[in-house]
Amino acid sequence: MWSYTARRLLYNIPVYLGIVLLLMLALRVNDPANAFLGKNANPEDLLLIKERLGLDRPFLVQYFDLLKSVFSLDFGTYSWANEGITVGRMLRESVVPSLSITLPALILTSTVSITIALISAFFRGRRIDRALMVLAVVGMSVSFLVYIVFGQYFGAYLLTRETGYSFFAIGGYESGLANWPYYCLLPVLISSLVAMGYDTRFYRAVMVEESGRDYIVTATAKGASKRKVMFVHMLKNAMIPIITRIMTTLPFLIMGSLLLEVYFNIPGMGRVLYKAIQEQDFPVIQIFVAIFAGLFILSNILTDVLYALVDPRVRLS
Amino acid sequence: MSGRLKQFFSQRGMRKLRQDKMAMGALFVIGCYLILALFVVAHLPSPEAVVMRVGPDNIPGVFGTQTAEKRLSDAEFRLEALQRAVRTNDPETSLAEFRMGDLRILAGTPKAVESRIEGGWKAFEAVAVYDDIEAEAVALELLENLESEVAALFSPPTGFTALASFLRLSLGTDRQGRSIALRAIYSTKVAVQIGMVAALISVLIGTLLGAAAGYFGGWVDHLVVWLYSIFSSIPWIVMLMVLASMFRGSRFDGGLIPVYAAFCMSFWISPCRVIRGEVMKLKELEYVQAASAIGFGHLRILLRHVIPNTAHLMFINFSLLFIGAIKAEVILSFLGLGVKDEPSWGVMINHAKAEVLNGFFWQIGAATAFMLVLVLAFNILSDALQDAFDPKHV
Repeated sequence: MWSYTARRLLYNIPVYLGIVLLLMLALRVNDPANAFLGKNANPEDLLLIKERLGLDRPFLVQYFDLLKSVFSLDFGTYSWANEGITVGRMLRESVVPSLSITLPALILTSTVSITIALISAFFRGRRIDRALMVLAVVGMSVSFLVYIVFGQYFGAYLLTRETGYSFFAIGGYESGLANWPYYCLLPVLISSLVAMGYDTRFYRAVMVEESGRDYIVTATAKGASKRKVMFVHMLKNAMIPIITRIMTTLPFLIMGSLLLEVYFNIPGMGRVLYKAIQEQDFPVIQIFVAIFAGLFILSNILTDVLYALVDPRVRLS
Repeated sequence: MSGRLKQFFSQRGMRKLRQDKMAMGALFVIGCYLILALFVVAHLPSPEAVVMRVGPDNIPGVFGTQTAEKRLSDAEFRLEALQRAVRTNDPETSLAEFRMGDLRILAGTPKAVESRIEGGWKAFEAVAVYDDIEAEAVALELLENLESEVAALFSPPTGFTALASFLRLSLGTDRQGRSIALRAIYSTKVAVQIGMVAALISVLIGTLLGAAAGYFGGWVDHLVVWLYSIFSSIPWIVMLMVLASMFRGSRFDGGLIPVYAAFCMSFWISPCRVIRGEVMKLKELEYVQAASAIGFGHLRILLRHVIPNTAHLMFINFSLLFIGAIKAEVILSFLGLGVKDEPSWGVMINHAKAEVLNGFFWQIGAATAFMLVLVLAFNILSDALQDAFDPKHV
């Protein structure tokens, strides 16, 4: 097991080196200092800002510098757009708002869509199954943005106007558990609604596939009720693809709600990155994307390892 | 080649697909959209018609009703437009050239028109004194009177123009008084264009790299897997933003090239992955070994014997990526990185954000409906393709 984990880790090192290389090259196509200061910047400012980030050093030195700061988790570089604030601080402050939307959304989406998928698979081929699947496909065909616009209008705006009581904020964020439902519940609901169509269809397909296997026939033959076969025998086996799917969505917890954060003014990582790109805040863009890709790879490795734990055949290939 | 095509269309999966009524319906809908896009390419509606003001802002479509307040301000808007035309240095020509959508000014000397406009303003003032028009029957009557008087200033379009005018206003106007119906139709072209180009290029890149990786194995395989691991580790939305900032200030800024580039860079991964797996399976089959025993070169085996057998996967991926491109375009527009010179559904939905807060749903509704039907058709088609060709896929 350990050797497998080590192999996965080693295998992903060149991938990460490639990501950072590509990212740095892409960000240097337009001179970042020029882009930040605009066309009419005076040359002294340009030199100063370049020197402060070491942009005047050879590319390879900069490359290893960035790698060093990522691997030692030292993000003391200062943001260009926000004077006197380090990238590390921006990172720390934005993680919690991001997670306070994506984590509940993931839990809600998974439970609800697994339940719906079970219902759908239980009544497979009947009217309720077909209705649910049509609903899922139609739901998938509407743009994310439309959900957000209408969600905000009905949930935050119309509801407040009609009842005179403000259940959900139109936008904004305040920390603290007591403020959570007011600011975050609506984005969580919207985000779950969007993901529901995809997830339900996937989970249903998994269960339908599982229900065709021999052990189901055996269980039915020995006299187990349909309900027992579904919820005891099948659900357990369907858990493997379900867990894999949930694991693969884990890295998106960080950046996954970028649109929601931007629309609802929630200061999460997605919105910080979005603003940084708008303001050409080079150090922030570089480190945020590098960290994100790192987290993505780590959770991929974790998925692989978990998968190997469940299914020993994987380890040997 | 035609024999090959015939063979492809008569194979089992294709027969299964043709019997699927839903899939055929979806194909029909997609065909309709393609024809609509061709009409736009032939300048029906033309790019000028799409940005032209056809009436007051945010008027609802055919069955929509308006508040009295909005009706009053619309009448005011029309009167003001006429007045501007009359008060120029050369009222004769400006009156003759006046257009509001398909409406022209009723023929007459500038003097006569001006006095009629005066009459219109009087009727306007009579209504404007009421604070709450809807509450009082007298005010409503006066408002109707004003509207008929304003309408009498214009010569209504006849014949074909009347039909065109009806179509133009059938879904109302946006915040700049432009026709929502025309903009939604025009956007079909942009959507089809983006979908086609992005999906086609991505599938091509993905197929070539994936097939090479699967067939040759070894360092080619390692290289391709390394490449797609890199690209898939950055979420596409972040990659799009970084790419867009790369193109900022270049001469491609605002056009479709950055959008294509961004989509292709993130979209080639999924066809590549799938086709690599399929080719790895295919190359172990007897017919490939036989071809190699006959002495065919690798390139020939790959291009003539292996890749054609992944055609179904290419179709499925094309269909899925088409959907992905259309939906991603909306998100790009929202982030301010998408299409800028032309209307698109994303641009429309993005513009409609502010209208929704005022309770005006025609623009977002029209764009969503147009998009929904196309994406739904592609979703149904992808499902049917998967069922017909790749039934074991989960």
